[in-house]
Amino acid sequence: MKTNQKKAWFFLAPTIIFVTLFSIYPILRAFGMSFQSGSLIDLRWTGFSNYQYIFKDPEFWLAIKNTVLYAIISVPVGLAISIMLAWIIFDKVKHKSFFETTFFMPYVTSTIAIGIVFRYIFNGDYGMLNFVLRCLHLHAPDWIDDPAMSLTTIIIFGIWSSLAFNIVILMGALRNIDPNFYTIADMFGASGRDKFWRITMPELVPTITFLLTMNVIGAFKIYTSVYALFNGQAGVGNSGTTAVFYIYNKFQIVGTPGVAMAATVVLFLIILFATFLQRKMMKKIGEY
Amino acid sequence: MKFSKKLAAAFAIGLTLVGTAACSNGGSNSNSSSSSSSEKIAKVKKTTNIVFWHGMTGVQQATLKKLTQDFESKNPKIKVKLENQGAYNDLQAKINSTLQSPNNLPTITQAYPDWLFNAANKNMLVDLKPYINSKEVGWGSSEASNIKSALLDGAKINGKQYGIPFNKSIEVLTYNADLLKKYGIKKAPATMDELKKDSQIIYKKSNHKVVGAGFDSLSNYYTLGMKNEGVDFSSKIDFAGDTSKKVINFYADGIKDGYFRVAGSEHYLSGPFANQKVAMYIGTSAGEGFVKQGVGNKFTYDVAPRPGKYTMSQGTDIYMFKHASADQKSAAFTYIKFLTSKASQLTWANATGYVPVNQAAADSAEYKDTKKLKLPAKLEDAMANLYSVPIIKDAGAAYGSLNPIMQNILAAAQKKQNVNDAIKAGKTKFDAAWKQ
Repeated sequence: MKTNQKKAWFFLAPTIIFVTLFSIYPILRAFGMSFQSGSLIDLRWTGFSNYQYIFKDPEFWLAIKNTVLYAIISVPVGLAISIMLAWIIFDKVKHKSFFETTFFMPYVTSTIAIGIVFRYIFNGDYGMLNFVLRCLHLHAPDWIDDPAMSLTTIIIFGIWSSLAFNIVILMGALRNIDPNFYTIADMFGASGRDKFWRITMPELVPTITFLLTMNVIGAFKIYTSVYALFNGQAGVGNSGTTAVFYIYNKFQIVGTPGVAMAATVVLFLIILFATFLQRKMMKKIGEY
Repeated sequence: MKFSKKLAAAFAIGLTLVGTAACSNGGSNSNSSSSSSSEKIAKVKKTTNIVFWHGMTGVQQATLKKLTQDFESKNPKIKVKLENQGAYNDLQAKINSTLQSPNNLPTITQAYPDWLFNAANKNMLVDLKPYINSKEVGWGSSEASNIKSALLDGAKINGKQYGIPFNKSIEVLTYNADLLKKYGIKKAPATMDELKKDSQIIYKKSNHKVVGAGFDSLSNYYTLGMKNEGVDFSSKIDFAGDTSKKVINFYADGIKDGYFRVAGSEHYLSGPFANQKVAMYIGTSAGEGFVKQGVGNKFTYDVAPRPGKYTMSQGTDIYMFKHASADQKSAAFTYIKFLTSKASQLTWANATGYVPVNQAAADSAEYKDTKKLKLPAKLEDAMANLYSVPIIKDAGAAYGSLNPIMQNILAAAQKKQNVNDAIKAGKTKFDAAWKQ
């Protein structure tokens, strides 16, 4: 029987200690707290009442609904646009590095700063977007101050800001594809479309799987962009509230950490399930 | 393999134990310090540093800094570190999360009493009565402090004087005097009906270019609307009841017809007011510093008592945490005493629009006749009937929930939809907020 080297534990100790202290312990603590009520300085065991509370709370369901909708719309759309743009830059554009840098810029800029700029772009009265829409004689909705538009606005912003990271990673993946594949395809007279679907896409699957996982997890944790877009609120009338917003609000403002942690556990399970489902799905596609 | 599993399990259990031990430690610490409450209250003799958490911005922060510098030059032994924690929400969140590690709390903080309800129950705050009564550090008695007794009472939690009022404000009506004159309105509206009538006139005569009026805080709008109808803020309010609907529809009808508006995601109407998009608005008196800056020489603005009988008394008090040393506590109280003195309150009120908490300052000619702000001359009338949200369990959360609820209702009104569905949805949320 093989045994681990005793010495290995010594070298792994720093990582194990840090991971346990800052990742595993908080998860356990959150799980424990979800069964407690009262304020942070006065926690009492309460059983399942926090779970009962959130399942009855309309605000919680709205938060989950918004988060799930955001994830299932913004991630695939964002990824599709990223693949398209990355392919165009890679295949058709001169001065690649310039465009690559331009597209990467939003990633290194603070979300809060971008959010504030977008708040002005989206403004219903004097926003740039509505100015353009009106010039084109299109309907100009109130992107920020109409509760019915909040989620749409968040999704548009989410798609836009996800492009940066996706494009850079995809460009890297595109560069790693063996150019001989294309040379041979050209020899056999393959069309551009054939090359894209038969060579590029299959070669990109591992990268897309990675991006999909990262994007979905990120989408479920959306908070900062909502905060920035709506000036510290979850949209007018909390219409754009998300799971993390709900958790933060219950924990910090209302002062019921138990309820917040119950919501955290539910969100954790949802993300776990979504990631699992997606990995299964991608495996199928990979096999194919 | 087995060994690693065991080790991981041992680790996890060990850490959980450490965690729980740390928590219970914190608890017992705060208890032990509470038993030694008979600390000496004496003048600070050696250099002492204190930390003050606040949520002041703009003119308010600048004035607070100036006052603090004055204080330090008069009390060279005391160093005050001002720490801005962002907006009130952020400050509240910071206090909430720091309460579990009391040693990281500041010496004193700005806070609303309901934020510290739990901290008071856990004995983490300093009862300031002995300091007030101390001849050396305090005033000798609360009467001698000259601080308005109603405000002092408002800073009590469970009947104990944990806080000293500092930056207090009321809701007032701010209006564009030039516009009102232009449209033939002789005096600022004094009742809600007059507000409606005047708003309609302005909206009509300006060819729908200028909205008549709006309310900054929708929570306040609803709470005071109900109070004016004789209903106190409590969990007994039937949000979908007739009185409630009357209050809500008053605003919703105005929005449907265009003569009222809301602040929306900008939070305050002082911006649209300065740009002459709205002729009047109801908001905190502490906004006057910002209004003055925004309006500049564009037009003449003025301030009037809030239409309707009651107005909201709001703004924070200063609270002291127990973990501080005896010297720090005395130093902090000396600072509080300085901030609430007549001279400081005059500087503070004249620069910011906050209401002086010091009666002598409020009564002084320097305040009443000031040319810097419009509020002082109107203060007495404006403060005739004050109301504030009661400090009871979940009242803060319920009050806070009113803002998004009202936003949803008024957004429906803006789209000319029937607001009854939104009111019904609002009732569910409002009732849920009372049962956290």
